[in-house]
Amino acid sequence: MSLYLAVPLLVFVALLQNAWLSQVSLWGARPDLMLVVVLAWTIARGINEGLVWAFIGGLIIDLLSGGPLGAHVLALLAVAFVGGQNWGEGLGAPLVRVLLLALVGGLVYHIVLLTVLTWTGHVVDWGYAFLRVAAPSVTLTVVIAPFAVRGTGWLSRRLEGEGPRR
Amino acid sequence: MAGMRETPVRPWLPLALIVLALLLLVFSEAGTLGPVTGAFHYVLDPLLRVASGGVESTGNLFQMVRDVRELRVRADELQAEVDALTVENVRLREYEAEVQQLRDLLRFVGDYQFVAPLGADVVSRQACDTFPCGDVVGADPNPYLRYITIGVGSQQGVRVGMPVVSSGAALVGRISETGPRTAKVQLIVDANSATAALLQTSRATGLVVGQPDGTLRMDYVVHGREAGAAVGDIVLTSGLGGVMPKGLVIGQVARVDRADYEMFEPIIVRPAVDFSRLEVVLVLAGFEQISLEEAEDGGGPDEPSAEQPG
Repeated sequence: MSLYLAVPLLVFVALLQNAWLSQVSLWGARPDLMLVVVLAWTIARGINEGLVWAFIGGLIIDLLSGGPLGAHVLALLAVAFVGGQNWGEGLGAPLVRVLLLALVGGLVYHIVLLTVLTWTGHVVDWGYAFLRVAAPSVTLTVVIAPFAVRGTGWLSRRLEGEGPRR
Repeated sequence: MAGMRETPVRPWLPLALIVLALLLLVFSEAGTLGPVTGAFHYVLDPLLRVASGGVESTGNLFQMVRDVRELRVRADELQAEVDALTVENVRLREYEAEVQQLRDLLRFVGDYQFVAPLGADVVSRQACDTFPCGDVVGADPNPYLRYITIGVGSQQGVRVGMPVVSSGAALVGRISETGPRTAKVQLIVDANSATAALLQTSRATGLVVGQPDGTLRMDYVVHGREAGAAVGDIVLTSGLGGVMPKGLVIGQVARVDRADYEMFEPIIVRPAVDFSRLEVVLVLAGFEQISLEEAEDGGGPDEPSAEQPG
């Protein structure tokens, strides 16, 4: 997908997450829209495009965040790397694989984010972060991921000519 | 699976992007990316304002039940009235305590000159003529940090380190980063935030630090003082360190974890501000911080040093 389309789309996703979703809390879970979008795009289009989306999306989120620049970049790169693997292909229904990748990707995302925050001197209560923030957010990611994969699958098909060949 | 694309994997791509991300992290922590991020902010800030406005108007569309809206307005009016009365009450108590202290001081150390503590004006929208007012335009997308983005920036004279308050002179946080037209505020409930504080009734001082769950804890309050902390006590900024004005309301004591064998008694503080409902804040741009060097030299706050982190 052309960067001319990807960048505005990712900026839109980041703004949505910053202006709206950051204030949404469902039993402690905050929807990580950029994570879901990067994961779904990686599943739909492969690891190369996923990594580029992760880098750009993470950079925009970092610019809008008060945290260290590069934290979300690293976390989303890890997610794209996870999403681009062939894990779970023998598990049967594609949905199972999506759920598995969302679970692993979500966990990796939060682990990397927390690790970077710890490295950069932020106070991190790992127990609280895992139980009260990461666990509910990952659960929400797993729930949202199948819908996001359908959405990005549709977008991918619309951009069939641009993307890599099957 | 359907839709899955098989692309020739470029083995260098993940490594290259990870190295780039690490470089970003290192340079960002070293503080050398300021101009670059500033340039990005020129593009992103207006977009963020538009998005925030869009989200706000979309949210209004969903308020379909008129009665609920009217009740909310009424509740807000009543809350504002309660806030105003609470603030007045707090300030009167503060004056009373201050007068008592000054009387004691005058009695025993009349030869010394004391600088009058900085009073905090009651904040309202009208105060925007004096201080830069900022609409809250975003919350931090990082789930582990508690920052907000406000709609005023360096162009309006906002600088890093300036205190930010809400209505009722309640402390919201401190400016941590400025863009041209937006600024990031580190909330007092952020886990990295620490504010010098005192209890209004006992005058015991301590340090109010943010907790991961969004509450506040007051540390280093010496256990066993004659008048210790009690549930319901008001917690104010002490002004110690010179990075915050004295007398801003931080919150109210919710619980005292008293243990006889411990030197300090940790106090759980309920913040005075409902951070999820913040709409307008005020940046105390006129407050001049006292740098540590000045304080050690015994100098006055002649040279403002708002850049100093607290």
